[in-house]
Amino acid sequence: MKKGFSKTWRAMLSWPRPPGGPHYSACHFCDTLHQSFPVEEGTAARCIRCGALLYQNRPASLARASAFSLAALLMMVLVHMFPFLTMDAAMMRRNLTLTGAATALIDENAPILGVSIILFTIVTPLLLAGGMIYVCLPLMFGRMAPGAFTAAKWMYLSEPWNMVEVFLLGVLVSLLKLAKVADVHFGIGFWAFAGVMLCMAAAVAGIDREELWDRLEVAQR
Amino acid sequence: MSAPFPKAADRGLACCRTCGKVSPVALGHCPRCGTSLHLRKPASLEGTVALMIAAGALYIPSHLLPIMTTVEIGVVTHHTIIGGMMTFWETGAYPIAIVIFTASILIPFLRIAALSWLCAAASGKMHPSPEALGRVYLVTELLGRWSMIDIFVVGIMVSVVQLGNYMAVTPGPGALAFAGVVVLTMFAAMRFEPRLLWDRLDEMNTEAAPASPTTIES
Repeated sequence: MKKGFSKTWRAMLSWPRPPGGPHYSACHFCDTLHQSFPVEEGTAARCIRCGALLYQNRPASLARASAFSLAALLMMVLVHMFPFLTMDAAMMRRNLTLTGAATALIDENAPILGVSIILFTIVTPLLLAGGMIYVCLPLMFGRMAPGAFTAAKWMYLSEPWNMVEVFLLGVLVSLLKLAKVADVHFGIGFWAFAGVMLCMAAAVAGIDREELWDRLEVAQR
Repeated sequence: MSAPFPKAADRGLACCRTCGKVSPVALGHCPRCGTSLHLRKPASLEGTVALMIAAGALYIPSHLLPIMTTVEIGVVTHHTIIGGMMTFWETGAYPIAIVIFTASILIPFLRIAALSWLCAAASGKMHPSPEALGRVYLVTELLGRWSMIDIFVVGIMVSVVQLGNYMAVTPGPGALAFAGVVVLTMFAAMRFEPRLLWDRLDEMNTEAAPASPTTIES
């Protein structure tokens, strides 16, 4: 890297290598050791033995990751403001929200189930999108947010527990169950949650895990 | 015959499970993110088997006990997962019946079966064919979350169907058991170490073809 480049300018470049080296990467499946070289934008490096993905260089990674996670966070606000479903039955109108489903379970003596709904559909998406934007936005300017390493760690820890799409399918199944006994409509919350699902998928796929950690290491110095 | 592919573990290098940086295992902690370093996940087989047995034990009550109870004008009905699926099938909602069957009956069962297979292969009781088994492992990890759908449906029904004396829904003990199955199998899949399959394959290859004097060390 040329000296005199400002940190901001350096962050705009694609995937900087941390100083030192040679850099290695080991396959997560077969533990084959590879010397890692930069790959072109839009391409991926695969394990020579088992073909598993080692790392990939995503185009405009930081911008995409922060933009999509910001969109996901904004839509999460809508998710909590508007109902998923509205049901009219027996002269009553019932609305479904995420917190409503969770508190109903807690009230009906199933606190563990209620808490798991809160964890898997409210806390993990928030951790994932919030962590992503907290880490990636300062990185776009070559800076590291305080505690960015911890944030990134928690973000990747919460990733497998993000069940937004599963909840959406659950809403569809319940809709079909309820359609027999009542008049049910989709609300804005449902569509916003579908948007959250798409944006989160795009944000997570937008930046490779190795690239994010390499950029953090470069920004730390 | 020496292994043609260099292994990180043979050189004392460990891949950080959080950030993927390869560093000497002797450091103890990843120099980049501070996660503890291990060549292989410690006690991964024991942990996977223990979690799997717990999940298998919960699998039976999760299907026998009701996941929710409806009270409709004084008439109490208990619903099991299989019963709910059958209702959809009988009313002609085949796609949704198939989704429920796959997500709540087939996937948990297949995951427990697949993990037992993986553990048997990794401990050397079966021939490891890592390419195929690696794919099995990946699918097991990807599909696991979808089983949670039934728990969410129970939550949604309990929240929405509260129509006073006319109709009310309460969660049943089966739902808790089923959530346990899903979470435990997810932890079991995370605990499993796919590298053990390749280790076992390499071991078998070296046993089958003992080193000949003409072998060139690469």
